[in-house]
Amino acid sequence: MNLLFWGLVTGIFFGFLLQKGQVLRYDKQLGALRLSDFTIVKFMLSTVIVAMVGIYFLHDFGLVALKPKTTALGANIIGGLIFGAGWGLLGYCPATAVGALGEGRWDSLFGIIGMLFGAAIYAEVYPALKTNVLAWGNLGKITLPGVLGINHWIVIVVLIIAFCSLFYWFEKKGV
Amino acid sequence: MNVFKLNSWSPYVAGGMVGILICLSVLITGKYFGASTTFVRSAGLIEKVFAPERVEKMDYFVKKKVRIDWQWMFVVGVFFGSLLSSRISGDYRKTALPPMWETRFGPNRARRWVIAFVGGIIAMFGARMAGG
Repeated sequence: MNLLFWGLVTGIFFGFLLQKGQVLRYDKQLGALRLSDFTIVKFMLSTVIVAMVGIYFLHDFGLVALKPKTTALGANIIGGLIFGAGWGLLGYCPATAVGALGEGRWDSLFGIIGMLFGAAIYAEVYPALKTNVLAWGNLGKITLPGVLGINHWIVIVVLIIAFCSLFYWFEKKGV
Repeated sequence: MNVFKLNSWSPYVAGGMVGILICLSVLITGKYFGASTTFVRSAGLIEKVFAPERVEKMDYFVKKKVRIDWQWMFVVGVFFGSLLSSRISGDYRKTALPPMWETRFGPNRARRWVIAFVGGIIAMFGARMAGG
């Protein structure tokens, strides 16, 4: 019960910030895919920078657990390509489709219904995929610092420099 | 000046604040953000109305546990958070067609609905295959 309450509260804050960041818009999402408006990228990479520093800081003190997802090359690459094609058509991702509906963009409703069908279809074919595509190139729960064999703070600093350089370039280009 | 009444915040600021929100969420409940599994659970809940025994036997639904959980409430929260933000600022607007879409494909709504629906099916299938 308590966990359900936290889910709702966290979601409300998240939805609020997504709306304020203007990332719940088809035009912004397509803008990123068409390389003409990088609002989404600025938003996401800012989230990554702060969360990456915060989570690893808390982890160093033993306060939180890292939960990396399994890297399975077949599933990640093929699934990613399929997702990208669908995202380009819909113009919203799963969470932003729900958020877009919240700010009145009701074309997203048809996307939400479509995504329910997509999930149902996936559940139907899952047994067939499990033994082939999903099993290809399974590397387990790897992380960048783990693979490189270096301290995580080195990776974090390098990524922050890379992301901030990108921000600098976006602002200079005015995209 | 009331910042909550502004139509938009810098994406760097709003995005950075989501980063803080993730840290707090993981610290308090251990939950990282995600949304797409909620569509699996919702599809399962709907199918359960028509064929409960079938849903109980399906591998994927068994694996993902068809129930209302933290993430399900999180996704509901996203809707209300966005509604709240856009109502406070006055940015809320019933919009049938995205401006960029209308410029390119014209005012036909049904065309947008079909593409959004098909796009949704494809996007969610891929998201589930890739793992979220």
